[in-house]
Amino acid sequence: MMAIIEVNELVKEFKVKKKKKGLRGAILNLFYAEKMIVRAVDNISFDIKQGEIVGYIGPNGAGKSTTVKMMSGILHPTSGSVMIDGISPQSNRKKVVAQLGVVFGQRTQLYWDLRLGESFELLKRIYNIDHKTYKKNLDLMDKVLKINTIINRPVRQLSLGQRMRGDLAAAMLHSPKILFLDEPTIGLDIEAKHSVRNFIRQINRELGITVILTTHDLDDVQQLCNRLIVINDGKKIEDGPLDILIDKMAPYRLLVVDMNEENTDFSHEAAQIIKTEGQRVWYRFEKNKITASQLISELSKKYAIKDISVEEPDIEEAIREIYKLTYCRL
Amino acid sequence: MFAFIYLAKMRILTLLTYRFEVFVAVGSNIIMMFATVFLWKSAYIGIDTVEGLKEQQMVTYSILSVLLSTILSCNVQNIINERVRDGQVAVDLFKPISIFVCYLADDVGRVISSLLNKAFPLLIIGIVFFGVPYPRTTIVFFAFIASCGLSFAISWLLSALVGMMAFWVMELGNMGRVKDAIVGALSGRLVPLWFFPTSFITVSKYLPFQYIYQTPLGMYIGKMSLNEALTAMMIQGIWIIVLLSVCALVWNAAKKRVLTQGG
Amino acid sequence: MSSNVKYHLSVSSCFARMAIQRQLEYPSFLVSWLLMIPIQYFAGILMLKVIVEKFQALNGWTFPQLAFVYGLGLLSHGLMVVLFIQSWNIGGMVRHGEFDRMLLRPANVFFQFAVMHINFIGLIDLIPGVIIFLYGCDLAGFHLGPINIIKLLLVVVGGALIRGAFFIITGSIAFWTKSSESLVGFSLNLMQRSAMYPLSIYPYIIQMVLTFIIPFGFICFYPACDFLGQNDRIMLPLDFVGWTPLVGGAMFVLANKLFNMGLKNYESSGS
Repeated sequence: MMAIIEVNELVKEFKVKKKKKGLRGAILNLFYAEKMIVRAVDNISFDIKQGEIVGYIGPNGAGKSTTVKMMSGILHPTSGSVMIDGISPQSNRKKVVAQLGVVFGQRTQLYWDLRLGESFELLKRIYNIDHKTYKKNLDLMDKVLKINTIINRPVRQLSLGQRMRGDLAAAMLHSPKILFLDEPTIGLDIEAKHSVRNFIRQINRELGITVILTTHDLDDVQQLCNRLIVINDGKKIEDGPLDILIDKMAPYRLLVVDMNEENTDFSHEAAQIIKTEGQRVWYRFEKNKITASQLISELSKKYAIKDISVEEPDIEEAIREIYKLTYCRL
Repeated sequence: MFAFIYLAKMRILTLLTYRFEVFVAVGSNIIMMFATVFLWKSAYIGIDTVEGLKEQQMVTYSILSVLLSTILSCNVQNIINERVRDGQVAVDLFKPISIFVCYLADDVGRVISSLLNKAFPLLIIGIVFFGVPYPRTTIVFFAFIASCGLSFAISWLLSALVGMMAFWVMELGNMGRVKDAIVGALSGRLVPLWFFPTSFITVSKYLPFQYIYQTPLGMYIGKMSLNEALTAMMIQGIWIIVLLSVCALVWNAAKKRVLTQGG
Repeated sequence: MSSNVKYHLSVSSCFARMAIQRQLEYPSFLVSWLLMIPIQYFAGILMLKVIVEKFQALNGWTFPQLAFVYGLGLLSHGLMVVLFIQSWNIGGMVRHGEFDRMLLRPANVFFQFAVMHINFIGLIDLIPGVIIFLYGCDLAGFHLGPINIIKLLLVVVGGALIRGAFFIITGSIAFWTKSSESLVGFSLNLMQRSAMYPLSIYPYIIQMVLTFIIPFGFICFYPACDFLGQNDRIMLPLDFVGWTPLVGGAMFVLANKLFNMGLKNYESSGS
């Protein structure tokens, strides 16, 4: 199946002015400012197939929004190419954006002072959506996001979670094939995060919409993404299915033991103690070196144990490992 | 005292970084200057003296009016409005230095900055195109400088009063511009009140506006005798005291309002 | 073709309707605008009256004629403020990413920009303009017959286009520098000084600049010459009402080109 998004050796360089400090610097800046070139996106390539939900993550300043902007046609690359469904957004902007829905978590496209429905009406006209399709999509949005409960309220009166639902619905009205979601769950409460994640799962499952999700919330990633692309410093660091990535980066588990004795040294050769709090000890052990039950039985032979629990590494551990590695490489 | 100097310096530094804005502001003032001067030249064609004033005096008046306007632009009304909107003003109320001193320091920084980047180049341009705008006598020149200082005080206090309206009216909107429009009309900035019908002149004597532009400028071109000039400066002083008292009253009322209503 | 026109009309009218609804939400701004604008304009015309009464007609322009020019200028200014006020905020739009949003929609960005807002409150600018203009017409004995009214409409629309185009041209600098607010005051000043007073008070060079380089003379001076029959040291047949809409159209085309150039730069350098 041909990829619906093809990103090929994408590069984006920015010219940035170097600013000098202090009064002398400010005066000098009046006449001459040195410029330097910053590579925000450094040779990134990947293909995304229709129907994937891809998490696109990286630390702040890694180049995530820059890549998304290039994929949606807002920004022109310095070199390399982007193809959305075989068309380049740079050469055929209008055709490409008609297929895209974009939601920015921190900025809304809705008109603040008017009813939510007015913003929808405007989009209906701008995207030239015929009445039947419009009605159908609105009904779908009501089914998936309960949009009719808020469609008559002014946007400024909506809570953050409601506004996000409005933005998601607005992005879906023109039946896009691809959704770019930039931090859609930021600042939302548990309930709202739940609805947003449900929404994404449903439209992906029922309509086959491809979703690219930029987020710092790793729960989003864990619950939604079947694939993860990690970028840092403009470069692609990791790209692959979620579980393989976790296994690769964090091939260990945690054993939390409540000791029933006083001791200064609870060490074990096959496990690393990463934290102690009073009589509770956290052991980290590698899955392929020793099993949980083995470690538990060996520890119980050496020490008096009151209680234990086993924890799987979560995505956060994996990501931290990835970032650590990249800093080592640099 | 050091805090005052530091705040003024911060304002100067900030304005230095906005060189483009400065060029454009100077450009805008050049247009004002040229338009006003040519208007007067056109009015004086074939006429020698009106109300005791000759063409050269009105040209000087116009050039200096533009210079004065660059110094008298006070930002305090916007600052107060913004701080009330953000709710920051509640924080300001509890700072160790009286915030009015802070706002004043900020505007003084602007004045110094404007003198250097706006008034000075405008003066040069005025000289190049229209000749040197000589004051009537040297004494008059010093009286002018003193009077300008008083004008600044009046203008600043008026701005502060308008700004403080923000405590009562949620959205000040264009009130600042309304005040500027009134000042522009009644202060003799473009057309001094001597040319207006007597009814206007009488009413204006009881308002503070003519003491902002017309008084110092009138001194400069020699429309007033030394006695008249000193009297005018005293009236300026009186207005400053009046406005200070009003400001203090309003400020206290505002503080009470903030404390009872929250930021 | 006609479906294209229908599309653009439907989008424009939707923007207009929404803009009016939005502004009705904030009546206090309306009030302060209502106070400020008439004061400025009436003060302006008053000053002209004072000068003419104390001195003489300016370059042969009597007060009635000056009032006519002044009022005519206010009409095109008012129309510009209603239709194109977003051109004063291009810098702000760049900084807040509003052009990103427009780029994400399948419509021409200049079109979206031009119709995105109808400044209903700007109609307040038109009220003193109409009053002063009618006053001037009356004093100057200018007859408002049907042909004159059509000519007037052309001049007012053309004048608004010249003004709007100039704001868009200067505002487009924000695509490179992210800031355009300072130029607004400068442009307004320039426009008012060349439209409020007859051009002939300025020296020859300035008149040439205001005719051929920054054609503000066409906003109301040259049309006024035509309407009032004033032959004011004009060498070329510039005092013809028809020039104004032509110049307006040409400037708007130029504004479109510069805007698109700026947008291209914006797309390359980001925000």
